[in-house]
Amino acid sequence: MEAQFLYSLITGIFIGGVAGYLGSLMITKRMALVGDALGHVALPGVALALIYGFNVSLGAVPALILGIILIWLFEMRTKLPMEALTGVVFTASVAIAFLFLPGEKVSTALIGDISQVGFWDTLVSAMLCIFTFLVLRKIFSKIILANLSENLAKVEHIKVERYNFIYLVCIAIVVALGIKVTGSLLMGALVITPAAAARNFSRNLFQYSFGALLIGGISCLLGILAFRFFSLPAGPLIILVATFFFLISLIFKKL
Amino acid sequence: MAETILKVRNLNVELEKEKVLEDLDFNLREKELLVILGPNGAGKSVLLRTLLGLHPFKGEISWTPKNIHIGYVPDDFDVPPDLPLNVKEFFYFKRINLPEILLALQWVGIENPSKFAGKRLGTLSRGQLRRTVIAWVLVDKPSVILLDEPMVGIDIRGRESIYNSLVKTWQKQNQAIILVSHEIGEVVRKADKILALNKRKLFYGKPEEVITPQNLAKIYGGAISL
Repeated sequence: MEAQFLYSLITGIFIGGVAGYLGSLMITKRMALVGDALGHVALPGVALALIYGFNVSLGAVPALILGIILIWLFEMRTKLPMEALTGVVFTASVAIAFLFLPGEKVSTALIGDISQVGFWDTLVSAMLCIFTFLVLRKIFSKIILANLSENLAKVEHIKVERYNFIYLVCIAIVVALGIKVTGSLLMGALVITPAAAARNFSRNLFQYSFGALLIGGISCLLGILAFRFFSLPAGPLIILVATFFFLISLIFKKL
Repeated sequence: MAETILKVRNLNVELEKEKVLEDLDFNLREKELLVILGPNGAGKSVLLRTLLGLHPFKGEISWTPKNIHIGYVPDDFDVPPDLPLNVKEFFYFKRINLPEILLALQWVGIENPSKFAGKRLGTLSRGQLRRTVIAWVLVDKPSVILLDEPMVGIDIRGRESIYNSLVKTWQKQNQAIILVSHEIGEVVRKADKILALNKRKLFYGKPEEVITPQNLAKIYGGAISL
């Protein structure tokens, strides 16, 4: 097994794991589609990265920051629902990206490509994943409690706004990383599907959150292995493996 | 004489430019059970949340000591039915160990607490969930407990066991309790003080002095007796 393939595997497993873990929190907060929308918001940055040949995650970050700030500003100005404004911003981002995204790069931008990641890419991605996972684990119970009753959480001295902000930053990091693996079109599934499957398998919060992490990691592992054998694109294969887990989970779901 | 732990003077609360509470004055002493009565929409829940520092206000609210440990049983505690969070894990949020969890569940009249601790929050009945939240709030022994309509949706036996456990812990541990209720019931008899309000104070004092047919008519606008 050559080093290049090993790097792809490691990068995929780490990103899939943390995306699944984050997804378990996002489903609980009814924010499952946010990952999907942000994946599109990042597209202009991804396009620039592909044109000038730098890391797509690096390109995604400024686009994500700009997109989130715009949504936030529009919300203050118009008081329209957040989802409507997100809809405006993410479709505009896709439109902008397609003005200058070269034809031969479209598939990489939309469904990802991790067959070319190098050593440093892998190392930095893995470190960021571990860091984000540790942060999320620290804020996990606080966010869940605030979701059950915000007032109760505040009385228990939980700084709800601060934790929500940290949580949003984690989403942005995971989306930026995930775009490399499954592209901007499929990024949403990387956070939703493993967590949705885990929810069906699990009887408590621990099984749910770590089950999502496991299913996310394993989906990436199997998807990338399948990519090796069938020479089909890795991004869609990963998502299909996760979807397969979801279908199996339906059997386990007690009615 | 027990010490005063809460002093409220000239309290005014305005939310969305509407006056919700006007010119409230009252005290809470150690070990005191204060029942706040009033019709729906009288501002009772807002008063509790203001005492907790969750709403802006004018006037004075002073707790002694300043960083007093307050427990709060909110009226809004909704668990999505599909959330895989069990009772034990809910207590782990507070870093409470299992023996203490089981004890707290026993306090609020849960039979077979070790089995109960493994149940998912979303599958509990309203009454069971209420009791679980009360146990969760009581478990780290706050000095004062604020409860917002704790008996709503709970049957008479459930009410009794919750009420008995509250009184029991309260007598054991020097806790003070503020309990909000929109109806007069068994709890009023045991209260040390009653504060009736409808935006403004209607009356305030010991139950045997203030619970009169005339006063009750002030709250509910008709002749009611206990």
